[in-house]
Amino acid sequence: MGDKAGGKGGAKSALKTPLSSGFELNNGSTKSRKGMNVQFEFEDRGGKRDKAANGGKNPVKKPTPPLQLRVEQELPENVTCLMDCEAAQVLEGIQEQMVVLSEDPAIKIPASFDKGLQRAKRGNNYTSLQSVQEVLQNLKKHGVADSELCLIANIHPESADEVFSLVPSLKGKKNKLLEPLNSALDELSKIECSA
Amino acid sequence: MFLKAQLQWNVIIPADNLDAKGLALQKAIIVRLMDEFAAKKAASSLGYFLAVTSLDKVGEGRVRQHSGDVLFPVTFTCLTYKAFSGEVLEGEVHKILKHGVFIRCGPVENIYLSHLKMQGYSFVPGENPIFMSEKAAKIEKGVKLRVMVIGVRYMEAEKEFQAVANLDGDFLGPI
Repeated sequence: MGDKAGGKGGAKSALKTPLSSGFELNNGSTKSRKGMNVQFEFEDRGGKRDKAANGGKNPVKKPTPPLQLRVEQELPENVTCLMDCEAAQVLEGIQEQMVVLSEDPAIKIPASFDKGLQRAKRGNNYTSLQSVQEVLQNLKKHGVADSELCLIANIHPESADEVFSLVPSLKGKKNKLLEPLNSALDELSKIECSA
Repeated sequence: MFLKAQLQWNVIIPADNLDAKGLALQKAIIVRLMDEFAAKKAASSLGYFLAVTSLDKVGEGRVRQHSGDVLFPVTFTCLTYKAFSGEVLEGEVHKILKHGVFIRCGPVENIYLSHLKMQGYSFVPGENPIFMSEKAAKIEKGVKLRVMVIGVRYMEAEKEFQAVANLDGDFLGPI
């Protein structure tokens, strides 16, 4: 695929600056046009609690737990995840109707449609959507969540190690999942288009 | 990640679009729905609105007393795109700054990757600035990177999402 920064030797860095503080966008000596201050919300890694528990004596830095995908907890009702290939099929269908739709000036297409379509097409490297869904349904029986299935389909992993590294929420079920995952990845590689 | 959502919105149809035969009314509801869908652009829980895919149900219209317009509760399915914390995605670098780079992925234009989250890369200034790693891997405009999203923020006023990403990790980096 390319020169990925892969391998088990790759180290994860701890947060050196608290990213929960606002930061400005600067380009050297000049401010960006927008000059926005941005604050992001992060999970509390428990650093402060650790210090309190030790009474301030030699606080031990625990390794920060990997960030977990929590799509299902964040999604409202009646909302489901789609793989890039599924979204590509839907969006391409709409694009085919675009000639007819654009003839009527009253019909408005959302501004993000084109970018969404390009994104979906780029992520769609499979020859058959149905086959992808069948392969991943097998993994679902082993307790893999829909969002995790979508992520696996979207990242086109080459090995089970890659999956466990990029989807840390699956690590807890590693023993149970290793064999079905390897089998699923073999099947997915057979239905992947050569780029 | 793409999402499929079933939503219920109220669509208001002006009185002059009400047609006894019903066909023009159906079209008016769809057109008005798509107009509102395009205007809303995004929502914090769903992400960027991409397309209405189907009209599932149109409820009974209720006449609004003062204007004579009719309000229809409409249930429809749509496609949206949202970046989530913990998600791994592949984006394209579109801006290089001294302290980091900006990546775009789909409709999300502002995914910020700080130099602090790019271990082993250092900024090389110049007419076309780049980040270069110790192993001579380059991060410049147009390069595709696989990153993990570590924070997402929705700005209600601009109806835009911003995200912060991380490149330090196994299987992350330039593609």
